[in-house]
Amino acid sequence: MPAIRLLLIIVLVACNTKTVQAENMQLDVNLGWTSLDAGGNDQFKSGKALAVHYNYFLKHWLAADIGVYVTDKTPEESSQDIVGSFRTSIQSQAILLGLKPRYKFSTPYEVYGRLGLQYWHTELEVEEYFGPGIPEGKVSADDNGYGYYVSIGGGYYVTENVMAQLELRHMEQVDVFEGKSQYPFDLAIISFSFGVGYRF
Amino acid sequence: MAVAIGLAVLLAGCEIDGGDNLPRVSDQGLVMYAEANRHEAEDTAQIAAAVFNDGETVALVGGDVFEARTVTERILLKTGGSFAGSYAASLPVDNSVQDIFFDIVHLPIEAREDRWYPIDLLNIDPGPGELVGKSATVTFPPPVSITAPLPDAVYTSINDVITLAWDLANPPGDAMRVLSAIECNDGLATSSYGTEVEIGADDGSAVISMDNFIYDLTAGSSTIKFLSDAALGLLQETLNQLSAGNIDPDFLARQAGANPINSMCEIRLFLQRQLQGRFDVTFDDGTVFGSTSAEVSVLYLPAVTTN
Repeated sequence: MPAIRLLLIIVLVACNTKTVQAENMQLDVNLGWTSLDAGGNDQFKSGKALAVHYNYFLKHWLAADIGVYVTDKTPEESSQDIVGSFRTSIQSQAILLGLKPRYKFSTPYEVYGRLGLQYWHTELEVEEYFGPGIPEGKVSADDNGYGYYVSIGGGYYVTENVMAQLELRHMEQVDVFEGKSQYPFDLAIISFSFGVGYRF
Repeated sequence: MAVAIGLAVLLAGCEIDGGDNLPRVSDQGLVMYAEANRHEAEDTAQIAAAVFNDGETVALVGGDVFEARTVTERILLKTGGSFAGSYAASLPVDNSVQDIFFDIVHLPIEAREDRWYPIDLLNIDPGPGELVGKSATVTFPPPVSITAPLPDAVYTSINDVITLAWDLANPPGDAMRVLSAIECNDGLATSSYGTEVEIGADDGSAVISMDNFIYDLTAGSSTIKFLSDAALGLLQETLNQLSAGNIDPDFLARQAGANPINSMCEIRLFLQRQLQGRFDVTFDDGTVFGSTSAEVSVLYLPAVTTN
């Protein structure tokens, strides 16, 4: 995908223009609650997700952002229609690549954002029940693709190197199952997370 | 006063009794009820169907679904009626349409089209059920035109009678029937429900007692036949079409708050001319009708009594 290649080049070039200095890197580990929206009449329950980010500060206010994002298997509320009773669940992982600008207030506070592209892998599972005497079933399918992510957060420096942080994130997976099905969808994951950042 | 409050509390908890509201279904075998009704000059026909096996409703599952079609249009009956195993939908028609064809078909993907996920990729198909392949055909009778009573005619007692009159048709229908949608308000609460009255011959007039529409919640029994099975689904679908979707989906089967006999009630009468259809594949029992209908509304305003 040209866009992700371009972003990767920008990040790498930017990294090479500055020599590594002390405390220009950061590791963030965030745990969050997710809300999934597949754009239709889906009714996903709240799920959990883990995000790990490595930041390399190119300037005092800007860092390259590389991350991994993993959700747990998030089920939908059971639904009933004339075919049967069914429930879906989604599990997703993504590799993230982007930029992280920040603004540092007078110590100990800062605000930051993230903006970039994601390469996702998503598995969708369906369980269905038809009633007595008719065999139930469970099927699943998975897909890979590209999307984007954007987030905004705030941090509080507990010590000189350790920051407690809160973050609101929106991730968009575009055209899930495009080319495999006549009914592709876009998956939006919104998460609110808390975590720890460590500067080194 | 205390008695009135007590009565109001008692009535607020009452529901229309569904125990006596079941369709008259044969205890044995496979029974199908289906009807296609065209109301006045509407450009859709309301379709309703239900199947019973040994007296129990049969839900079509796993991708089995009723299909109603004309030569040019088709629709799947995917909306459930008021009880498991009844289905209703609206099918586009025009004056050139004479026949409606019913089929039970197995369409595992189309039946799931209201779902959000890739139903063609994630499809659990248990295969066609035993009802698939059953079919029936109905023909619309001539349109109905009501000549009496006049709209908004007022009745004050359940002992009153409604003299219903309509234009004769050539050829006549096999039977006439009145479906009613009734809403009552006593100033504090409302009730809404539907009833059904079989009139019989298509001979141009019938006299129907008001107690076929209005009843006393506190009485142990009444002469009312509440709407059930395909007729209920059919009238609810008709009301939905006439109101452009702005009607309570449970209008005909909701809780009774006001006692109709003491309330002001609007009674919407839907007079139907029915023509018996035919089953193309044998069922053990059942009925299939094509019908046309017309509406007139009358009012029930109980006389005020003084002590």
